[in-house]
Amino acid sequence: MTILEVNNLKKVYTTRFGGSHVQALANVSFSVEQGEYAAIMGESGSGKTTLLNILAALDKPISGEVLLKGKRLSTIKEKEISAFRRENLGFVFQDFNLLDTFSLQDNIFLPLVLSGKSYEEMTRRLEPIACKLGIGDILAKYPYEVSGGQKQRCAVARALITKPQLILADEPTGSLDSQAAEGLLRLFNEINQEGQTLLMVTHSVKAASHAQRVLFIKDGEVFHQLYKAGMSDEVMYQKISDTLTTMATGGGRHE
Amino acid sequence: MSRFFYAKLAATNLKKNAQTYLPYILTCIGTVMMYYIMVFLAENKGLGKMSGGFQVQAILNLGSYVIAIFAVIFLFYTHSFLIKRRKKEFGLFNILGMEKKHIARVLGFETLYVAVISLGAGLLGGILLSKLIFMVLLKILNFEVPLGFNVSGPALAAALVLFAVIFLLTLLNTLRQIHLAKPVELLQGGQTGEKEPKTKWPLVVIGTLSLGAGYYISLTTQSPLTALSQFFYAVLLVMVGTYCLFTAGSIAVLKLLRRNKRYYYQTRHFTAVAGMMYRMKQNAVGLANICIMATAVLVMVSTTVSLYVGMEDVLRTRYPQTIMISAPISTQQSVEGLQRSVHKVLAKHRLVVQDRLDYRYLFFPGNQEGGTVITAKSKISISNATSSLREYYLIPLEDYNRLTHKTVSLGDQEILIYSGSSKYENDTLTVLNRTFTVKERLDSFFEKSLERSSISGSYYIVVKDMDVIKTMEATLAKENRNESSGYNYYLGFDLDAGEADISAVYQDIRTAVGSDYPGSSIESPVAAKESFFAVYGGLFFLGIFLGALFIMATVLIIYYKQVSEGYDDKARFEIMQKVGMSREEVKGSIRSQVLTVFFLPLVTAGIHIAFAFPIITKLLAVLNLTNVGLFAWCLVGTILVFALFYALVYGLTAKVYYRIVSWGTSV
Repeated sequence: MTILEVNNLKKVYTTRFGGSHVQALANVSFSVEQGEYAAIMGESGSGKTTLLNILAALDKPISGEVLLKGKRLSTIKEKEISAFRRENLGFVFQDFNLLDTFSLQDNIFLPLVLSGKSYEEMTRRLEPIACKLGIGDILAKYPYEVSGGQKQRCAVARALITKPQLILADEPTGSLDSQAAEGLLRLFNEINQEGQTLLMVTHSVKAASHAQRVLFIKDGEVFHQLYKAGMSDEVMYQKISDTLTTMATGGGRHE
Repeated sequence: MSRFFYAKLAATNLKKNAQTYLPYILTCIGTVMMYYIMVFLAENKGLGKMSGGFQVQAILNLGSYVIAIFAVIFLFYTHSFLIKRRKKEFGLFNILGMEKKHIARVLGFETLYVAVISLGAGLLGGILLSKLIFMVLLKILNFEVPLGFNVSGPALAAALVLFAVIFLLTLLNTLRQIHLAKPVELLQGGQTGEKEPKTKWPLVVIGTLSLGAGYYISLTTQSPLTALSQFFYAVLLVMVGTYCLFTAGSIAVLKLLRRNKRYYYQTRHFTAVAGMMYRMKQNAVGLANICIMATAVLVMVSTTVSLYVGMEDVLRTRYPQTIMISAPISTQQSVEGLQRSVHKVLAKHRLVVQDRLDYRYLFFPGNQEGGTVITAKSKISISNATSSLREYYLIPLEDYNRLTHKTVSLGDQEILIYSGSSKYENDTLTVLNRTFTVKERLDSFFEKSLERSSISGSYYIVVKDMDVIKTMEATLAKENRNESSGYNYYLGFDLDAGEADISAVYQDIRTAVGSDYPGSSIESPVAAKESFFAVYGGLFFLGIFLGALFIMATVLIIYYKQVSEGYDDKARFEIMQKVGMSREEVKGSIRSQVLTVFFLPLVTAGIHIAFAFPIITKLLAVLNLTNVGLFAWCLVGTILVFALFYALVYGLTAKVYYRIVSWGTSV
C-alpha cells in the first residue's frame, strides 16, 4: 500500500524584493510504500530541504500535490494542519531540535502533551520505546547534559511516540560522530523492520546505503533511483558512490 | 589602513545595532537632560533669593545627587546589556584579524559618538527645557515667575564631567571584558548551555520571612514616631524579600507545579511552566529591580502629590487656629497683660476675635508605661520604646468648665482624661509622684485645641485647680534640675479677615508679645504657608521628576528584556512548530508567558503598596497629613497612571518582540 505519493511538485523561491527567481523544485514525483525505508540524496542546493518542508506541510508547492495515505495535504485546513502533522508524521532533524527548557522525557512527551494525552498513557507509550532506544537512564536529564548520539535517540523517541504513518528524517547523522551515526542507522533499520515507514534526506553515502531505496535529486528533479534489493551495505555504498560521481561529472540521465 | 577606517566602522556598527542602541542613546539624552535641569534649578540664584527658595534648593540638591547615582548604575546596566548582545560581533572581528587593540579603538570611537550625541542633544534639550521646568516649579511653589532666560555654567560643567566619566567607565568596563575573553568565547556570546535552576530553599525561607516581617512592621506599627524609625527597616526587609522570592521563590513554585504530573502534563501548563522557569532564571533579578523601582515610584509620587494637594489640610492640622499664642506665665497678672496686648493689636486693626480658646496648662513629655508616666528627661527614651512616648497637657478644672460650659467638680486626687483616639485603660494614673484616680474618660475635648498636631499622641488631663498644677510643676522642675519652663497660657482665635490683614495682625502681635514674654511662640498658618509651599512644593516637584526618571528606566529595562528574549525565543518558536504546535498555539503560549513576566512586577508592587499603606499613612501624619482618604485617592491615581504607562510600553515592546520572533520563519 502506498503511504506517500508525490506528484509533479514545483517550487520557485522569489527573493525578498521580487528580483530574481530561484527554482528549488522543477518536477518531482515519487511514492513511498508502507513499511519502506527510502533515502533521498542530492547535493547542497538540489532542493532536498524544500522537498522535505513540503512533505511536512511546513511549506506549500506552487503546483503538484502530496498525498499522505491518500489524503491531499493541500485540502487540510490551516487550523488542523498542526494536529495532522503531529499525529501522522514524526520528525528527526540534523540539529536534534530538542528544547533545552525541557528534560529529555518532557521533550519526548511534547507532541503527546499537545494532543492532550494523559500522563499514564504517555508513560505507557514511552516505556517500550525508551527500552528499545536505550535511553531509559537519561530521561530525567536535560539536552545539554547528554551526547549528540543520545540527543538524536531522544529525538527519534519523540518521533516514534506518536506512532506516525511516516518518519521524516533530515540529515539525521549530520551532527553525529561516525560511531553514533552507525548506531542511529542500525536503529533506523530496526524500527523499519518492525514496520515503520521511513523517509530520510541525506547526503551521507553511508547513511543512504542503509536504506532499501535511494532517490537522487538534481536540479529539482528526480534524477535516478537505486534499489538495494538483496545487496549488502558495502555493495550499495559503492553503487551510490558511482551514481554520485556520474551525476557530478554531468553524466546523462538514465532510469 | 585608512585613517578613518575605525571611525567609519564605529559609525556603521552603531547604525547596524540601532535597534538596541537607539533606546540607549535616548536614555542617555534623557538622563543628561534631567541632570542638567536639576543642577540648574539647584544652582539658580533667582530661586535662592525667593523666600523659602533655600529649602527648595536643598531638596533639589538632594535630587541631583539621586539622579547622579542613578545615572551611573542605570547606564552601566543598560550598556552591559548592549555589549552582551554584541560579543559575537567582536569575536568575528577578532577572528577576521582585528587585534583587541583595534577593537578597542572601534569601541572608543563608538563611545565617543554616543557621548557626543547624548551630551550634545541632552544639554541642548536641557537648556531649552530648563526654562519651562523652572516655570512649572515656580508655579508649584506659588512663586512669582521672573522673566529672562539663562544658561547655567556650573550645571553645564557638572553634567559634562559626570557623564564624561560615566561614558569612560562603561568603555573601560567593556574593554576589560573583551580583553579577558577568548575569541571563541566571544563568538559563542551568550549561548552557553542553559542549566536548570536549582531550588534554593534557604533563600525561599529567608525571602518569605523578611517579606512577612516587613509587612508585619507596616501592619502593626501604631505610633507615627515608631513608623518613622521602623519604615527604613520595613523597606529593607521587603526589598530583601522581593529579591529572594523573585529569584528562588518563583523557581520553587514552578518546580512544585512541575512535580504535580496531572497539572504539568496539560497542553497549556506544559510549555508555560517550563518556559517560565527558564525566564525566571534569566530575569528574576531584573524583574525584582523593576518591582522595587515601580514600588518606589508609586510611593514617592503618591505621597508627594497627596502632600501637595493636601497642603491646606496639612496647614489646618498643624495650625488649627488663625492666630495661636503660647506664652510662659507665672502669675495671673501676666495672663491679663497678654490678653490686653493682643486686644490692643486687634482693636488697632478693627478685627473681632472668633472662636476664642484660652487656657492655662502644664506641658511635659513622658513615657507612658501602664498607669505610670516617666517624666525625668534623662529617663525618657525616644528611640527605644518610642511608641510609649506621649505629650501631656495638664489643665485646671476652672478653665475646662469655663470652656465647655460644664460644672464638673473634682477632688484633689481625681482627674478627667482625654487620650485622643487611643483608649486609656487604667483606672489610676501615677505621674510626678502623685497618683490620681480617673474620674472620667472624655470622648471629646475643646473642639479645636485637641487638634494641635502631635505625632506621638497627646493626653489632656484635667486636674482640680492651679495648686495641683503648681506642685506638679515644682516636682517636674526638681526632677529635671530646674530646666522646666513652668506652666503656660494658650490663647488662640480665628479672624474673619483676608490673608494680608491676618499677616499684619500676626506681625503686630509678634512685636507686642514677643519681647514681653520671652519663650513665647506665636504661630499662624498664613505665616507658615510660604515655607510649607516651599518644602511640600519642592518635594512634589522632586517626586514627579524622579518618578519620570524611574519610569524611563523601567521602560528601558523592559524593552531590553523583551528584545533579548525575542532572540532566544526565536529558536524555540521554530522548534515547537516543527514538532507539531500550531503557530497560534505558540503565539498564545509565548504571549501568556510574556504577559506574566511583564505584569508580575507590577502586581507585586501593588501588593507591597497595599501592605505599606498603614505605615505610610502614619508617616504622612508626621508631616501633618492626616487625610487618609486623600492619600488613598492619590495612590490609586498614581497606580492607574503608572499601569497605563506600563501597558503602553508593553504594547510597543511586544510589537518589536513579535517582529524578532517571527522574522524569517518560513511558515
